[in-house]
Amino acid sequence: MLYPSSGTGQFAANSAKIIRFVRKGCTNRPFFHIVVAERRIEQQGPAIEQLGTFDPMPNEQDEKLVSLNFERIRYWIGNGADTSKSVRRLLGLAGFYPVHPTSYITASKNRRTEEEAALKASEETKPNETSPANV
Amino acid sequence: MLKALNNFKLLSMTCETFSPNSLYQQSVRWGRKPLWFPTAKSKLFRVSPRKRLPKEEEVEKRRLYNSYRTQVKSIKQYLEEKYSLENQEAFDEEKHKMEIEEDFIQCSEINDKWNEEIKKSREERVEKELQESIEDAKRRLEKRLKIYAEQRETAEEAVRQVKEASQHFITPDKLDAAIEYAINNPVDYNFALDLDGNKIRGRETKPPSKIEPEKISAKA
Repeated sequence: MLYPSSGTGQFAANSAKIIRFVRKGCTNRPFFHIVVAERRIEQQGPAIEQLGTFDPMPNEQDEKLVSLNFERIRYWIGNGADTSKSVRRLLGLAGFYPVHPTSYITASKNRRTEEEAALKASEETKPNETSPANV
Repeated sequence: MLKALNNFKLLSMTCETFSPNSLYQQSVRWGRKPLWFPTAKSKLFRVSPRKRLPKEEEVEKRRLYNSYRTQVKSIKQYLEEKYSLENQEAFDEEKHKMEIEEDFIQCSEINDKWNEEIKKSREERVEKELQESIEDAKRRLEKRLKIYAEQRETAEEAVRQVKEASQHFITPDKLDAAIEYAINNPVDYNFALDLDGNKIRGRETKPPSKIEPEKISAKA
């Protein structure tokens, strides 16, 4: 059964709703729709409404493109919809929510590895720099 | 192991019944060992060490998560207050009608105000146009009167000229004298030309002596 990816608009009255990703695209080419759906329904099942898109593969300008319908997101969160962790991360980067702790943690981790790599590189180059001076 | 082999055999047997060529049959494998296999003997009592973050990092992480959760909670509460359908006011028809009526009254007030302004400007405009048309009419009247006067003058001039000319008209009293004068002074318009182009007037009567002979030059 195929459902419209923009959403069916149908849901049970008191069901738990969640704003989450739905994987579209194809093999080796992920693309996500951000939808509000009933929590109990599987990922590829009928969504209530599409709220945005997310393209995780960087384009030519090294950008990951996101589109979000903030008006509807506000409405759905106001009416008790939960958000998945990955969506919360995106919303944090978009400035809708505060920045998610995992974003800070990964950033600090990346920074640390970068610093370590730089340190290692400088240590490697040091003997090369000193050798011509000695000669 | 034996059990697994048996399972395998069973699988292949069941497959054989369906597949047309049992030689090229392949079984699906998940990871390194089939799913129904138990934990390997060598890994049976292995306990992986629990990952522990440094104390500082753990405190920092907890702080981040705590503040994040409180902030998200407050945002959620705000949105719920603002957008939740439960908090929205129910549609009241009476109130809606009243609102429409009030809106109409307000609109009509604004409309009246505009009409007043437009009326003022219109009256000014009409007054101005009237004055202009009156002036124009006066101007046209003056022009027309001037034309009439001129026409009258020309007519009077013509009459005067005719009157002047009428002194020489031949009236019944002057008829005899005029006839006598005509008989005494015949006019002959005939003339002849000689070779030099001289005009010689008169054929039967003698021309009056005061008329000079004219010369007509032949065209080349």
